[in-house]
Amino acid sequence: MNERLERGALPVPAVHQFVPALIPRDATGSHTLLLRDVLRSAGWRSEIFAEATHDDLANESLRVEEYEARARPGDVLIYQFSTSSMVADLLAGRTEPLVLDYHNITSPELYGEWDPPAAARSAEARRQLAVLARRAVLGMADSEFNERDLVAAGCRRTAVVPVLVDLERAVQDADTRTAARLARARAGGGANWLFVGRVVPPKAQHRLVEALWAYRRLYDPSARLHLVGAMPSRRYMSALRRYAADLGLATAVRLYGEVSDAVLAAVYSSADVYVSLSEHEGYGIPLVEAARAGVPVVALGAAAIPETLGDAGLLVGTSEPALVAAAVHRVLTDEALRHSLVVAGQRRVKHHSLAAASAMAVRALTAVAGPPPGAGRSGVTERQP
Amino acid sequence: MTETEQAGSEEEHRVYLARVMAEIDEEVRRRRASGDLPARLERELDELFLAHSPVAGRGGALEDALEMVDASAFIDPAVPVASKRAGGAVVKKSLRTLNLWYIGFVTHQVSQFAAATSRALHLVEERLVEIARELDAQRVPPAPVVDLPSEDAGPRWWLSDALGALSAVPGRVLHAAAGDGSFVRSLCAQGVDAYGIDPRPGRIGAGEREGLDLREEDVAVHLRAVAPAELGGVVLTGVVDAMVHGERRQLLELVADRLAPEGVLVIVSWAPSAWAGDAAPPEADLAPGRPLRPATWAHLLGPMGFTVDVQTGPSGTDYTVTAVRRRARSPR
Repeated sequence: MNERLERGALPVPAVHQFVPALIPRDATGSHTLLLRDVLRSAGWRSEIFAEATHDDLANESLRVEEYEARARPGDVLIYQFSTSSMVADLLAGRTEPLVLDYHNITSPELYGEWDPPAAARSAEARRQLAVLARRAVLGMADSEFNERDLVAAGCRRTAVVPVLVDLERAVQDADTRTAARLARARAGGGANWLFVGRVVPPKAQHRLVEALWAYRRLYDPSARLHLVGAMPSRRYMSALRRYAADLGLATAVRLYGEVSDAVLAAVYSSADVYVSLSEHEGYGIPLVEAARAGVPVVALGAAAIPETLGDAGLLVGTSEPALVAAAVHRVLTDEALRHSLVVAGQRRVKHHSLAAASAMAVRALTAVAGPPPGAGRSGVTERQP
Repeated sequence: MTETEQAGSEEEHRVYLARVMAEIDEEVRRRRASGDLPARLERELDELFLAHSPVAGRGGALEDALEMVDASAFIDPAVPVASKRAGGAVVKKSLRTLNLWYIGFVTHQVSQFAAATSRALHLVEERLVEIARELDAQRVPPAPVVDLPSEDAGPRWWLSDALGALSAVPGRVLHAAAGDGSFVRSLCAQGVDAYGIDPRPGRIGAGEREGLDLREEDVAVHLRAVAPAELGGVVLTGVVDAMVHGERRQLLELVADRLAPEGVLVIVSWAPSAWAGDAAPPEADLAPGRPLRPATWAHLLGPMGFTVDVQTGPSGTDYTVTAVRRRARSPR
């Protein structure tokens, strides 16, 4: 690692990141990797220290224990906070200035009896947040919604910095086999609803199933619901499947699990509408991805969703099946409305662009780490929609 | 486009979306009224999903939870060895045999712990059942909703006054207990955005089929789910009569919180003298509480921020309380 600037003898200051798990195609994982690149482009030394790293990213991170040997005076540490982890306890005991990059903790109550271990992890994460928030020199939140959590936990200085996300994955070259399969199904008629997110109770996929049932009964008996996302809660997933079967939707509701970026792009490209009835989102990246892909959005206005979406989607006040069905029907049959949502979506995408979010991150970190050695260099490039 | 132009265009878009949402709400109302998607059917969806949820989600009966504990208390160290791959079963069986002495030792201890825990839980459950039985004898039952004396005696005397009081309130009007929705129907006919709830099984059927927004729900449970200052009016008929004071106070505080400033609360209640007479319903003997005297309402609602007016019916068997929520609530 080059620890000295070529033009002088002073060590290059470092802003390192700590993360419980570095996982590909995961919001926090992708954000961490992009932020590392932004920090390096700005001129800081920056490494990722992870408690666990997915094999595909083995070369991108160091083990948390390795930091001790690499620690230098003046280091600033960022903790990517989204769940409980031993990393939080480790950082609580260190003396370096700490920045919390907070991606929200789902309320334990939302997991309830569906997933007691997840509820326990959330409760533990809240405890850790209370400890770290008081020690942090800065709390960075994805949204004002998340910022309120940081303030409530005792963070004295906060800034809103959107998640760094490469929205181009939603419009990259689509997986041809998936695209062909979806096109064949689409040729038979029926609207394609899409939701992207982990299949867990707080995301309320069962509400989507209900809404689809009402929509098929009232407007379009051939409509389908595509659910993309990891399925960590076996209980919830199995209940969801049985529920869909009870409502006669066993073949109309399609669960994909975790997919590659190319498959995701294919699913986005075949979607007629993106519908979210999630009750808990600290940010909601897929909402912006859908907008980037030109898919109109209908969403429950809960948690940070109104903030993320702005006027780029039709926000419904409740998950009542008849209301959601009517909203989707309107979006799919009113060309002027659909067009206005797509146009507003493209505006929103610019607001969430990687370049804009990167600049905000550098600005926020400069306030606690001092100006980066390469101040003035951009280093962040992005294709615009 | 300049920033000002863009801001103007975004504002126009927001107004447009608000109008679209209002039209969608109207479409939903129309669909429900037409019987295409009865509200009852939507409610049944929740129950259907809960049937697939874990024990706590289904209401958390202790017996069910204990059954689950019992069912999973034994940990089987002999893992299944079936396999779709050729030779897979043999490999798995060999691995199982090799590991069984170790896994078996561990699982035996875990099973012992689980069995002891299960036994302890059963003892706790037996004791709880015993305590519940003893408590049941001293329990104060929740107050039932009662029919008003004027229910069977032709047009209700308080109808036109109540309609007048609620004709220009700042929000939706809730009627509890709405019965078949006749008062909700009158309000809607007058252009008031009204809906009704009734906790009594089967009471809302006819009105619901007609397309009125009626729900079979407990009054307090429903009000707790409504946002503060969301309602323009609340009508309580036969709801508070049989309540004990604490339950009545809690409900009225809830109503006060859910009403918007200048919102109107209308209460129709049995008169205490009629409650003690032969024409009173059976609940008069069986209910935990009794109706208040008309003059008491000003003492009760005044400190909650209401201006109160009381009218006694022509027969003297019932009376109405019309209370308007003042803009600034006075301290309690």
